[in-house]
Amino acid sequence: MTALLSIRDLSVAYRRDGVEVPALKGVSLDVLEGERLAIIGESGSGKSTLALALAGLLAMGTEIGGMIEWSASQSQTPRSFAPLSGLPAISPARGEIGSFADGSSPATLEISKSSDDGSISPLAGEMPGRAEGGVPERRPSAIGNTQAPLLGSDIGFVFQDPSSSLDPVMPIGKQIAEVAHTHLGPGWKGAYAKAKTLLERVRLPNPDATIHAYPHQLSGGQKQRVAIAAAIAAGPKLLIADEATSALDTIVQAEIVALIRRLVSEDGMTLIFISHDIALAASLADRIAVLRHGELIELGETSQIVNAPQQAYTRALLDAHLGLNAEPLLDRQDTSA
Amino acid sequence: MSVLAVSNLTKRYHRGGKPFAAVDDVSFEIGPAETLALAGPSGSGKSTIARLVLRLIEPDAGRIDFEDADFLTMSGAALRARRARLQMVFQDPLAAFNPRATVARVLNDPLRVHGIAPRADRPRRIAALLERVGLDAGLAQRAIHEISGGQRQRVAIARAIATRPSLIVLDEAVSALDVSVRGQILELLLDLQRQERIAYLFISHDLGVIRAVAHRIFILDAGRIAESGDARAVIAYPQSSVGKALVAAMPKLVRDRP
Repeated sequence: MTALLSIRDLSVAYRRDGVEVPALKGVSLDVLEGERLAIIGESGSGKSTLALALAGLLAMGTEIGGMIEWSASQSQTPRSFAPLSGLPAISPARGEIGSFADGSSPATLEISKSSDDGSISPLAGEMPGRAEGGVPERRPSAIGNTQAPLLGSDIGFVFQDPSSSLDPVMPIGKQIAEVAHTHLGPGWKGAYAKAKTLLERVRLPNPDATIHAYPHQLSGGQKQRVAIAAAIAAGPKLLIADEATSALDTIVQAEIVALIRRLVSEDGMTLIFISHDIALAASLADRIAVLRHGELIELGETSQIVNAPQQAYTRALLDAHLGLNAEPLLDRQDTSA
Repeated sequence: MSVLAVSNLTKRYHRGGKPFAAVDDVSFEIGPAETLALAGPSGSGKSTIARLVLRLIEPDAGRIDFEDADFLTMSGAALRARRARLQMVFQDPLAAFNPRATVARVLNDPLRVHGIAPRADRPRRIAALLERVGLDAGLAQRAIHEISGGQRQRVAIARAIATRPSLIVLDEAVSALDVSVRGQILELLLDLQRQERIAYLFISHDLGVIRAVAHRIFILDAGRIAESGDARAVIAYPQSSVGKALVAAMPKLVRDRP
């Protein structure tokens, strides 16, 4: 399998009260085309930072180093959206994020440049790179031709909390149609037809009525189905699900995981599934990457990670899982008493 | 003898103009030093029962006996005294505390309000409480927002045990914790239960966690009890459709060697 994404020496640091706090430290990783890759870790491991970095969603002022290479096939059909006016420090040739010369004018990242209304907020990302000095060829001069991934059309992103990722005052049909309209350009009529098809594909009941519903009228699981429909509306090659089932109860979680599995398989998407739950990750992923304190400490086939982890930390995560066949803590306490 | 006896508890709300029962004729008892788990999908009534038991909301029907006294008719000083014996720990301790308060202040309040310790004695009591939940006494002067999530949940437990309760309601108390921290908190709860004979009403959507710590389980569905019994037996052989669905939905980690 070929790599869809090559991540090389990716470092990210946030500034907090003037202090630089590293979130990712030199992570290198290939995401293979068509695979389901789980990225697991505990709080502060950097798993969400990695997801946001891949999607170009890191906040302004974040320090980014290293490189992300997007090698989607060149044969994609031309798309009608306005080309990126500039991704942060992405080279025309290789699609690199990060490390452009200090003092260069900050690039602007525009997501889904819709001519209609800006309900998917156009995020302006100012990402000054590290002061490595002298890499002027990486300046985003001819960025319009770049193969850098575009959020929405190349990458679909599903967040943990659909209540905050969906617009509360816009009918859900429009939120989905807007993605199709922006990136595929079929006109609003076509976009709404696409939205209805997507509502059926994510198995929302009664799509004809639901298309006019507002997020607050839906349950948490239904909202997450809408968020998934919007994420895949423009046919992305890569779907990133960042703790997309963590706020849901176990039964709904299992349904959403089954939905993601089916959609990824039907559309031939590559999946990056970010989770704190090693058992959930193992139930879905072909490979598992384990992050700890911002470093990639282990990466392997799911069966290898689960049955023959190389790192003590990975084993500790496995041992800490409380499954339905684990020895109850109650017994351990009783025997030690 | 039971610590808590709930009989025919019912709580109705209105949804879209129509009344519906969030909790519908629920009865159960918890014995001393027993852990009773409430499980069920979102909206099944678990947290509503917790809030009814704590008298944060009042039921439409039913009876709650706490330490063999009618808890719902109590008021004034009698209620306040009894409330000291019934404590709670929620999912998110950052939301439960004033984030700018120090740990010492959070632990001082119950000692003061319930007259547990005179002012001069409180610093010593606070240090002892911190030590009891596995925290360094030096943490007392730190602000709640400065400490880690696991430390915060230990502070919440310290506050809960400050008034020597016979029952603690734990509503998804370990759900937001990292797995490594979660195990330590569960061990702490079990240790406290053995030493102090505290009963727990343990609310969780996670059957794995329930199986690890609970004696008995009640599975709720749409406000009603779908099934109940020994926690391990029910989870191993669920009879109700919701019980079967909950067990089937648990991610299975299949390892060659455990």
